Order: sequence, then C-alpha cells, then structure tokens
Amino acid sequence: MEEQARLFNLQYAMYTIVFIAVSSLALGYLARIMARLRGFSQAEQRKVFWGFMFAGPWIVGFLIFVLGPALASLYYSFTNYQIGDKIEWAGLDNYRTLLLNEGRQGRNFNKAMLNSFYYAIIGVPLQIGAALGMAMLLNNEMRGIRIFRMIFYMPVILAGGPAILLAWRYMLASNGGFVNESLQKFADTFVVFDYIYRGFIYLMEAFNGFYIGITTGDPLGPISFTIAGAAGLLLIGLLALGEWTEGKRTMAWRSAQIIGIVIVYRLMAKGLMADPVDPAWIYFLGIVVLASTMSMAWQRQPRIKLVQGAGLVILLAAVVGVLSHTDYDATSVEARRYFIPAALVAVPMLGSWVGRWNTQKYRVLGGCLAVLSLILFVRLASGQLDGHHLNVVTHYLTFGSTLEHTDDLNYLDKVYPANQMSSLWFFGLTVAVMLGMALLNETYPRARRWLSYGALAFFALFTIGSYLDGRTYFQAFEKIAEAAGKPVYHFAMFRQATSEFPVAGRVPLWMNSELWSKPSLILITMWSSGTGMLIFLAALKNVPRSMYEAAEVDGANTLQRFFKITLPLISPAMFYNLVIGLIAALQTFENVYILQTPLTVDSLQSAAFLLYSRTFSELHIGEGAAMSWILVVIIVTLTILQFRFSRSWVHYEA
Amino acid sequence: MKRVLFLALALIMAIAVVAPARTPSHVEARQDQTLEIYITGLTEDTMTWFRETIFPAFEAEHPGVKCDILTGGWGDFDVTVAGWITTGEGPDIVYLGSEYAATYGDLLYDLDPYFTDWADWSQFLPAAVDTVTFDGHMRGLPLLMSPRPIFFRSDLMQGEVPLTFTDALAFMQANTVLEDNAAKQWAFMDIGNDLFDAQEFIAYIWSAGGELYNEDGTSAFDSAETAEAMQYMYDRRRVMRPTEDTAGLPPIEGTAIESGAVISGIFPMWAMPATSAEIWNNIEVAPYPAGANGAPLVQVFIDWLSVPAYVEDPELAVEFLKFIGSQENAIALKDVAGFTPVRQDAWEQIKASDAVWTKLLDLTVEYGRAFSDIRASAELRPLIFEQMTLFLTDQQSLEDTQLALKEEYDLILEDQGYLD
Repeated sequence: MEEQARLFNLQYAMYTIVFIAVSSLALGYLARIMARLRGFSQAEQRKVFWGFMFAGPWIVGFLIFVLGPALASLYYSFTNYQIGDKIEWAGLDNYRTLLLNEGRQGRNFNKAMLNSFYYAIIGVPLQIGAALGMAMLLNNEMRGIRIFRMIFYMPVILAGGPAILLAWRYMLASNGGFVNESLQKFADTFVVFDYIYRGFIYLMEAFNGFYIGITTGDPLGPISFTIAGAAGLLLIGLLALGEWTEGKRTMAWRSAQIIGIVIVYRLMAKGLMADPVDPAWIYFLGIVVLASTMSMAWQRQPRIKLVQGAGLVILLAAVVGVLSHTDYDATSVEARRYFIPAALVAVPMLGSWVGRWNTQKYRVLGGCLAVLSLILFVRLASGQLDGHHLNVVTHYLTFGSTLEHTDDLNYLDKVYPANQMSSLWFFGLTVAVMLGMALLNETYPRARRWLSYGALAFFALFTIGSYLDGRTYFQAFEKIAEAAGKPVYHFAMFRQATSEFPVAGRVPLWMNSELWSKPSLILITMWSSGTGMLIFLAALKNVPRSMYEAAEVDGANTLQRFFKITLPLISPAMFYNLVIGLIAALQTFENVYILQTPLTVDSLQSAAFLLYSRTFSELHIGEGAAMSWILVVIIVTLTILQFRFSRSWVHYEA
Repeated sequence: MKRVLFLALALIMAIAVVAPARTPSHVEARQDQTLEIYITGLTEDTMTWFRETIFPAFEAEHPGVKCDILTGGWGDFDVTVAGWITTGEGPDIVYLGSEYAATYGDLLYDLDPYFTDWADWSQFLPAAVDTVTFDGHMRGLPLLMSPRPIFFRSDLMQGEVPLTFTDALAFMQANTVLEDNAAKQWAFMDIGNDLFDAQEFIAYIWSAGGELYNEDGTSAFDSAETAEAMQYMYDRRRVMRPTEDTAGLPPIEGTAIESGAVISGIFPMWAMPATSAEIWNNIEVAPYPAGANGAPLVQVFIDWLSVPAYVEDPELAVEFLKFIGSQENAIALKDVAGFTPVRQDAWEQIKASDAVWTKLLDLTVEYGRAFSDIRASAELRPLIFEQMTLFLTDQQSLEDTQLALKEEYDLILEDQGYLD
C-alpha cells in the first residue's frame, strides 16, 4: 500500500515536471510568434524564445499560484460564496454591505478599518520615531556598540513569537506587571512624575474612549461639524499665517488632493454602492473621460483616439451594465437619467474624433464638461444645500443651536444625525479654499489673502458655534440618563474616562481594557522596530561628517543640524520605512490574533483579522474576498499617494 | 529539434492526462481500501497507540483494509473540515467538537440505521447522544467528554457553595478582596481567566430556565431568562470590578485554583492540579448556579466522530466507529490519551481508582447538559463577545443588548437557512 502511494507521488511529480516543461516551451513559442508578428529579426526571435522559455516556470507559477487565485478571489467577491452552499452571483452586494456599513458585518468592517487606521496613523510614526531614536543612539562610536546593536535588533527576531507576545501579556499585566510596577515606583518616588503619569493616563483614556465611541458608531451630533471646522481652520491657518512661499502652494495643492481623494472615496462608498447605481456616477465617469481627453490633447500626446475610444466603450458599458441590473424600460424616465449624461459625452467626443484639434473643439468639450459638472454638483447638493440643511451654517455662525428635542433619546440618537447636512461639505469647502489659494498664488496676492482671512473667520466662528451646540448635545444624553436613573451609554467609555482625574495609584489596564488594548499593541510593535532601525543606521552612516562640521562652523545648533542635515539626507530611508510600516500596519494580524480576549476582541480587531475570521472561521468566502479587495485598493492608493508626494520631501543623491 | 522535443513532451503530457488514474473502485472495496480517520489535537503517544494497537486489530478483522490517522489543531479546524466537506474529498471519519452537529447537519451521514440496533448504544450518556443528534437523527458516535463544573476552594471560601444566582452574588461579595482599586482575591474566575465567556453565558441562560431558541427556531435572546443571566453576570462583574478601571489579579503562576487568589472558577481539567494531588481534599465541585425558575447544571462538552456524506463506503466507517466505541477501547483511550469516556459502563474502572473523577462523573450524570445544538456557532460567538462587552462595560443597556442579540442572531439564522 505504502509503495503504491509512493508510486502515485512519483507519477504526479513527473506530471508536474512535464507540465512545467511543456508550458514553458509553449510560452516560448507564443512569445516568438508575437515577436515575429511585431517584425523582429530571426536572431531577436530566438532570443525572445529562449528568454521566455527560461522564464516560463516562474511565469507559469505566477499565473497558477498568484494571478489565478487573485482573479478567483475577485470573482468570489461578487458572489455570496459560502462554504457548503452553492455559489451565486451577488453583484455589488458584498461591497455595498462593507462600504455602506450595512448590518453587523458592515459595522464590524468599519470598526476594523478604523482600528487599522489607528495602528497606521498613530502606530507607524511612533514606530519610526523609536527606530530613528535607536539608530541615532547606536550611530555613536563607543566600545561594545556591536553588542548593543545586536540587543536592539533581537526583538525583530523574537517579536512575532507567541511566547514573546505572551511574555508581554505578563509584563503588561494591570496588577503586578513589570511595566505598571516600574511606572508606579517612579510615580511614588517623584511627585512631578506622578502628576505627569496620571495626566498621561487621563489623556490616553479620554482619547481612546472617544475613538471607541466613534468606532462603535455613537452619533457625534454637532461635534462632527466641529471636527470638520477645526480641520479647515488648522489647514488654512497654516497656509494663511506668515509669508506665502512655493512650499505653501505645494502644500495647499497636495492637501487639497488628499482630502479630495478621501471625499471621492466616501462619495463612491455611498453613491456607487446605491442600488441601483446612482446616475451621478455616469456623470462623474463622463467628466473623467472628457477631462482626460482634453488634457491629452493639451499636452499633444499621441494615441488620443485610442483613449477616446476606450473611454466611450467604458462609459457605454457602464450604462448598459447598470441598466441590465434594473427593471427600467429603455424608454423610461429612469433610463433616460443614465442615457443623457452618456450622450452629453459621446456626441461631442465623436465630433472631436474627426480632424485636427482646434480651439472650437476645446470650447465644445469644455462646455459639455462644465454642463456635466454643474448637473453633478446640483445633484449632489440637492437636499444638502436647501434652507433646512443650511440652517447649520447660519446657526453656528451666530452661535445658535440646531437642536430641537434635547429630551428625546431617539431624536438625539437617530433623527438628528439623519437629518443634518453632511460634514463632508465642510471638508469640501476646505479643499475649495486651498485650491483657490494655490491658483491665486503669487499672481493675485491680495485676493489670496482675503480669501484666506475670510475662510479663517468663517471656520473659526463655525468651529466655536458647532462646539457649543455639540456640548449641549452631549449634555442632553447625560440629562436623559439622569432622569431615567441609568448610566450614560452615549460615548460611554469617553465619559467614564473623563469623569474624574485619575487618583494616585491608578494604573493603565493595558491588555485588559478596551481603552488600552490598542496602545498596548502599538507598544509591542514599537519594541520590534529593529528593522527600521537598521535601515536608519545605514542611512545615518552615509551622511557625510563634513556637512555637520560645516554646519557647526556656521553656528548651527544640534536641533538645526538634525532638521536641516540629518533628516533631509536620510529621507529615502524614512520614506522606505514609512511605506513598509504603513502597509504592515494595515495588515496587522498576528498580534491581534494572539493578544485578544473576549472583552478586547472588538477594540483590537484589525481589517486583516476580520477578513481572516469572516473567511476562515465563519466561511463567508465572498464577503472575505470583497474585504481583501477593498484593503488592496486602500493600500495601493495610499502607497501611490506616498510615492507621489515623496518628491517634495525625499531627497535622493544625484 | 525543438519542435520534436516539444511534440514529445506534449505527447507525454497528453498520455499522462488521458491515462486513467488508478483509483480503487467501490466494487473492489475491502481489497485495497484505506480508511482515514481525522482526530483533532492528538499527542504522538496516542497516534502511536492508534497505529500500533488499534489499527492492526481492526485490519485483522477487515482484511484488505488499511487504516491511517490524521491530526490537526483547533486553530485551523473550521477551514480544514469545511474544505473536506465542500470539496467532497477528505477522511472517512471526521472528529467534531460539541457544537458542530447543527453546523454540518445534513452534510453528515444519518447513522440511525447502523446504531438503532446496536446493543452498546444504551451505554452512551444521554447528553452525549443529544450532542450528536441533528434533525432527530444520529450523525456520529460520541467519543469523549469534558464536564465543566465550578471548582471551589472549600478551605478558603466564606459561606456555602451557592446554587442560585442570588446566593452566588452573596458568595462573590464575601470572597472578593480589593485593595487600592486592584483585585487581591477574586471569588470567581472563568475559563478565559477573566469574568466573561460566551459558553458560560449560554450555560447561565440554560440554568436560568431559558433556551437559545424559540419553538419556531428564532432566537430567544429576548427572554426574561436571558435577561436574568445577563444581569447576574453584570452584577458579578461589578462585585469584582466595581468600576472598569479596577485592576485585575496579578499574574498567576501554576494553576489558578492552587494559587489561593481565586476562590472558585470554571477550568478545564488540564488547567487543574493532577487528580492525585493533596489539594483536591480542599476542592469542592459544584454545578452552575440557577436563576429563579431554573435548575443548576454542569456544562458538558462532547467530542465525537462523524462520517461525512461524501464517504463512499459508510458501512466500513461505521464498523470502525463501533470498534473504537467499544467498552474495551473506551477504557484504553482513557488510559492512553486521557479521554473521558462517554460510555457509562467504562466508568467503573475510573470510579474505582479516582475519587475526583467519581465526583465529576456523578455530577455530570445528575446535572450534565451537553453544549450542543448551537446553530451558526462560528457567527454566534463573535456576536456574543461584541454585545456582551458593550453591556458589561456600561456601554449599552441590558434591553438594547438583548434586542441587538435577538435581531442580529435571527438574521444570521435566516441567512444560514435555519429559519423558513
């Protein structure tokens, strides 16, 4: 029997080898045929053949083990595939559930994504800071420095191990753990440190409590406008104060791009996922096609007709695709809402197909672009810019209140958030102001100044007004709870954390509390910053001593030398660590898997962990696949943005 | 030359693909047939025992049959088993945990025709038979059980062993010691070394007299009994953690019950001292306390062996089940792997030699309720974690928690086809 099994194995091994050989040969021949069709010489064809033939095993492996599963996963993401059941096409349902936060799974995904962003936005800078700090320490010349380097790098080797993570559990034990015991000893010894320590606990718990409230989905009420207003105030303030420079113009332009991308993502989540797909998306697609065509024509790029053709095909396919999933008759009013924008793009595009580009064509296409944009704006704005919604602006600018029934829990919890203007508009306003400032630039300095001062005044009044109303909103929950004799459940953790300043002896509960679970995980990750440290160390070694000496002669102090010489010269290493760190943070998995407890599983759960649980524990393959593709899009977008914006702060040697 | 080479290789591949792989047909059964058995978490010693003792004995009785054993962990259990059942390719006998009858139900063979007339069947603990029953039909053979009572340190505790929620709360008050906003001694600790566990929550619903499902199959999380169980768990937590910033116990070395820092708790037997240890003289074993209209119970986890519906020769698999489930082998499995037999006629030897297990088995017979018929268990567990965390940490009211549990679980049950 065992001999037979061995024979079977041998047989299959031989099949595999033959398959690889034949497919590599076939690939070589295919490449040769392509080369022949493209008019390559005989010698070049031979080179192509052998090149592809030898690359064949890797290409075949890539197709079978990477591309194949990836495509299968993409397909599954559009199905309701669940192990044990039949696979049925579900269209955008999975994406809709996840992006619109529908039902429990949508809520969980939103929560997991917010946790992942926490790890990325708070964890990565801390990790990079720790790595850079260690690297600078280890860059000093002193006896035994190699041993220190080894010690500091050791956590990288050990960090992922379950035993080490469990050791961290012991060290972070709230009662009797090494970390808390040590901190408490310091606090008992130094009075000043005691206050700093308790202040740190207070701030950390307040911040995390507030974040938990947001992840749980507690309504922010007017505070959502305060956040939007404060962001606008800060960004425009940074640009408006002091002298206007080219750097500020770049900052305005790029900030507007980043916020714009976030807004488009949110709109996509809400609009594209509507069932049936909102016609606004056909308008949006039309604008993209027209704008790309005009941009290519402006830059005199070749193959413009190819792009025009492809754009039209995509546009028409989108219309047909959307309509095929509805019950609309082709002549119905509903169907017309999709056809009109398509026609507004297709007709002028086909007209511009013939002949050379001239001013007339730009005008026609530009006119259509303007019309489409206007319709899109009106469509998005309708219902948001009416008198009722604009009350928010008028009330807050005069420190009034928009709250009507502060004694009704349902009103505060559901009706008010549902009836209010989206705070996204104020982020959009920030983008508009920043773009305006970037465009006015040096050419119209006075107009730029007035624009910025006006915007600052608006956002300042709006922020204060909405904060005052927000405070009333939060207090309303307290009053209702008090009348009912129950605890306050709205932003409960935040309220618990800020109810009093920590008394002497209070300790962080680390892994045993939702308030501390994420900081604990970041702390453990920071401990293993050795890889980043090595990269920084190598970069620091390459900074020429002569530059420091020259700076010293010029009277630069330590901080100036660090910010003006060290940081710019190690910026490629910083960039590398940032890109890798961000990707790793968004894929946080092992630590969550090992460190979670029943009470902290939700506060720790990352997107990658949820993806795993939904796919491999709950066996919802379709939804898990959709999660993975959303995560891919987010990671790729963030990476592209980082590369795009790196040009202004990363300095490579010529 | 290249073309010749290409053609030759293509020909070889075509022959290899076209040539029928020699798979043993059902007609040839018992000639060259392999019986594969999958059991989770086996030690090397147990694997050896299977290979060197059990398999030769079974193979001797079934000429032409070759047995093989596979093992794996609980971590990848769901994926592994679901993969086999979905693809229809996998072992002939699959080991399942206590709650899986509802998960795989009709994807497993109905073994009624094989077990109804089997004289030994009456020896199996009724709670175990319930565990392997789905839709009124037996889907497997119970293999081992793990009773999970509450252990008490009788030498350290103040008051009597509580059997009601009210008494239990008084017990918690009397036996919890807090100092400087940190725990010095806890009256109770659950299986996860904390104060909340999903399985324990279900046990309290049962001991309060409630059920997980209504007669129409919908969730009964909105019942008064569920509310009673939730309130008990909340009040118990507030005794040991008056506020959420109260620090827990210091790390415990060794077993919790031996440390003295924990007066009572739910622990698996592997997290308890050896049954021969002196300390067992000071350990009391009792069922979970009950609600106003309920009765105390002991939660029992039964692991069992099933025959997936893809198996071509279920008769052979069933023959092996009967073979491994015999009294003699049940006793042998206890000696080799430490499995607690589910057959009551295999307990005599245990009772004769082990006083602790005698207590446990008696308690199981009197109060035992199997952790079974948990529908869509993989999705229920995170739902309970999510909602109970919100409730226990004062982020959500009891009413809202019940409502959310009920609504969400009903949606899951509907999605999974448990509701019409």
